[in-house]
Order: sequence, then C-alpha cells, then structure tokens
Amino acid sequence: MTTIRHTDNTGELALTPAVEVQDLWLAYRPGEWVLKSVELRVPRGQLWVVMGPSGAGKTTLMKALAGLLPFQRGTVEVMGFRLQGEPPRAFRRVVGYIPQQLGLVRGLTALENVLLGALGRHGGLGPTLGLFPRQEVTRARDYLAMLGLGDKAGTRVFNLSGGERQRVAIARTLMQDPQLILADEFVSDLDLPRAARILETIRGLVREWGLTLLMNLHEIQLVRELADHVVVLKDGRIVHQGPAGALGWSDFRALTEDGGAGVSGR
Amino acid sequence: MVGPGFLAGKGREDSLRRWRDLGGVLALLLVMGWILGRMGFFEPGRLAGGLVNFGRFAAELFPPDLSVLPTVLGALAETVEMAFAGTFLGFLLSFPLGVLGTRTLFPRPVVLAVRFLVAMTRTVPSLLWAVIMVIVVGLGPLAGTLALAVYTVGYLAKLYAEILEGVDPEVIEAVRGLGARRRHLVRYVLWPESANAVLSQLLFMLEYNIRSSTVLGLVGAGGIGFYMQVYISTLAYSRLATVLLAVLAVVLVMDGLSAWVRRRYLLQG
Repeated sequence: MTTIRHTDNTGELALTPAVEVQDLWLAYRPGEWVLKSVELRVPRGQLWVVMGPSGAGKTTLMKALAGLLPFQRGTVEVMGFRLQGEPPRAFRRVVGYIPQQLGLVRGLTALENVLLGALGRHGGLGPTLGLFPRQEVTRARDYLAMLGLGDKAGTRVFNLSGGERQRVAIARTLMQDPQLILADEFVSDLDLPRAARILETIRGLVREWGLTLLMNLHEIQLVRELADHVVVLKDGRIVHQGPAGALGWSDFRALTEDGGAGVSGR
Repeated sequence: MVGPGFLAGKGREDSLRRWRDLGGVLALLLVMGWILGRMGFFEPGRLAGGLVNFGRFAAELFPPDLSVLPTVLGALAETVEMAFAGTFLGFLLSFPLGVLGTRTLFPRPVVLAVRFLVAMTRTVPSLLWAVIMVIVVGLGPLAGTLALAVYTVGYLAKLYAEILEGVDPEVIEAVRGLGARRRHLVRYVLWPESANAVLSQLLFMLEYNIRSSTVLGLVGAGGIGFYMQVYISTLAYSRLATVLLAVLAVVLVMDGLSAWVRRRYLLQG
C-alpha cells in the first residue's frame, strides 16, 4: 500500500516548493468530503497561515500534509515526497507537525519530550533503553534554554503551564531538524499577548533558519502581523489566497465569517 | 410541571412496565427456589444439623495447636514465595502480551490472536492450572508458581491491553509523526502514560495470588495448602486453626502493605 517517490534526486531540491497540492479530495466516510479539490502551493522559507470557520477542514488539511491521514484523490507533494499511505522515516525528519493538543507525553519531563524529536535519527537500541547521544541531549537543552525553559528541563509536562507546554512542543519539533513545520492552531489555548510572543519566536526561527511554516490560526491581529500569505478555507474549499498585507480587517471578517465565530479545528 | 394528559399516557406505560418487572422478579425467585430445593436447602433437619456440626468443628478449632507453628510458618513462607515469583513471571509475560493486544499499535490479526490466547488462559481456574502443572513438572512449589504465573497472564494481559488502549491516540500519533518506531512508542508514550495503572493492577494481582496460593497445596502444588489438607483429613482441627490464623495474618499484612505502596507511590501525579 506504500508507494513513495522521493523526487529530490539532482539539484532540483531547492526549486521544488515546500508543499504542492493538486486537486486533493479527502473524506472520513464515503461521499462526505471534508476537503474538496484543494489546490495549494507553498514556497520554501515563508510563513503561511490557513484561516477559516470551524469545520472548514483546516485540521484535516494539516494532518493530510503531515502524512497522518489517507486521502482519496489528488496529489500531495511535501518537501519533495509524494505522499500516499504511510510516509517513510526520511519524511518524518524533514516535516514537523504540532497538533492542536500538542501531543506531549504528560508523564515525561520537558527534556525527555524534546528528546523524542530525535527518535527519527536514532533507530538503535540506545533510545529504547533511555539513552540518547550526548550531543542530542545538549542540543535539546539548548533549544529549551533558547525558548526560555532552561530551568524547566527536569519538570514533568503535567506540571507545566499552557505556554510552557507550547514551547516544549516547539522545541520538540525543532529537534527533528525539520525544513517544514505544520502547526495546527497550537496557540489557540493562550491569551493574545502570550500567543503573540510564541509566534514571534517561531517567526524568528523561520527567518533565521530558512524554515517553512504552515499553520492554522484564527486570530486576525496575529495573522496580519506575522504571516506572509493567507489561505482561506471554507467548507473544504480554498476560497481565497493572497499576501497577508493586502487584506484589510473587513476582508478577513468577510472571508472567515461562519455565523458563530469558529475557533477550534477539525 | 407535567400536564395531566401527559401523566395519563405515561402512567399506563409505567404500570405495564411495573407488572413486567414484578413478573421477572417472581420468575427469578421461583427458579432460585427450585435450584436450592434440589440441593436440600429446604430439608428441615439438614441446615440445623449443619449448624450443630459447625459449632462442634469451631469448638475443636480452639485452642489452636501452636506446636505446629514452625512447620506452618515454613510452609507459609513458601506460599508467599510462590505468590511473588508467580506474579513476577506472569507480569513479565503480561506486559508484552498486553502491548501486542493493543489495537492502536498492532494490526487486527495480531491483536485478535493474542486476545484469544489470553482469553483461553483465563477460562481455566488457577487450581486447575495447578493440577496441570503438577502433572507437567511434578509435585512442589514450582508447579504452584507456574500455575499462578499462567493465571496471572490471563488477567493482567487483558487488563494491560485495555489500559494501553486508553492512552490518548493523539499523543501516539504525534510521537509517531516524529519518526518514532513502535518500541519507542511503548517506551516513551504507552509506559509513562499508563505506568500507574499498570503497577496498581500488578499489586492487585499480587494480593489475589497470595490468597489463591494458599490453596494450591491441596493438589500438591506446594505451600501451606498441603498442611491444610493433611490436618483436615486427619481431623487435626486445632492444628488447622493455626494454619488458618497464620494465613489470615499474612493476607492482612499483604493487603496493608500494598495499600501502603499504593498511597506512597501510585497516587501522586
């Protein structure tokens, strides 16, 4: 069932976009399409935001791009990998995914959670026994320190605050060494100033390290300040794509209106 | 408030249901009465005579003959060893089998095969396992230990599979998305997220095995049960009393100990 084509043989790599989706159709149950003929092309090195009312299919789109959901029709190429079925481990090394609920292991410490990001690189018996190479541990500690969690490395996740957990999730994704990060409304539980701080940190990394970031976000203020480009999804279709700067407040309202302000994703 | 019309319609239905329930209860009572009657429960002299016999038996139990105490304590130590060793062996097998029986981790055929195997194990009671093990490895505590281990697998593997399936699938999905292999998921997601419940069930199983290990000696599978049988068949009831009191003490101590472990280690977080 797994057919994967790795297309970055020659020096073509830099030219292929981070995400290229053509005519993507996806349904959880036969006939009930959640994504309908989605077309999307995200160039490398930019920060793109997907907006839309609840139930528009934002989370589904993210999961499909992360290789976590099978789809019925269309082609999806992410970082040069043509997705179909379970993606290979090499794909996991270049694509990071932060789910809405973060997916942290509550009973492990912040440091241990971050180290999980290195598992894709270490197939040996060491990590299974709880042993990671010294340089990976150092790196994990560095990321935590960089995100202001240096003193929380040994704290279990269930003892961390919401904002601290978000940062652990970011550090864990960075640990993967990804070139593309897919993030699903992962700051939606935070208040605006805190969400803004987290997102500024992330944008800094995107710029500095040349990463690509595609995320679901519903806070219009944040989108206008941070995003390069906005995609609006409505009822499974993309109804608008354009530079974030070109949109005014009223445009945002009109495009993402769903009667009752939609927040949580599906 | 409900209107009268509503009450009338609803009331009829209600009274019908009440009559049906009453009929059900009466039928159940009749069946139970018939079963008990067949056993002689309603024969006038029988239970009364039993009561007299029980009084005589109880009188012969006391005072307990403490001269057998050294023998009894030795056998009791063997019983406790059997329970610990059997629970330990059973746990070593149960956790991996529980993992193999987790639908979020393994394909359906594997899960079904494992669960079927475990269910088969569970249908045989521990005393019968002891008989089988005595036949297989001979008389003595090894047979009892193996019997307890097999019986433990039947219960713990099932419970563990259920506990492991209760772990948030989004966390498993997220960590799998990091490139983790299955053994990593077991080590870093399933174990830390379920360790408390896993250990708690293990303690429960240990308590249970302490209790059931005391009777395995009845079929020659080692431990204190052997002396129970000897003292019963030689009508040495005052010696039997010593055995029973010693067993009671051990069970109480073990229950207290495991309650303490639970409070001390498992309730935090």
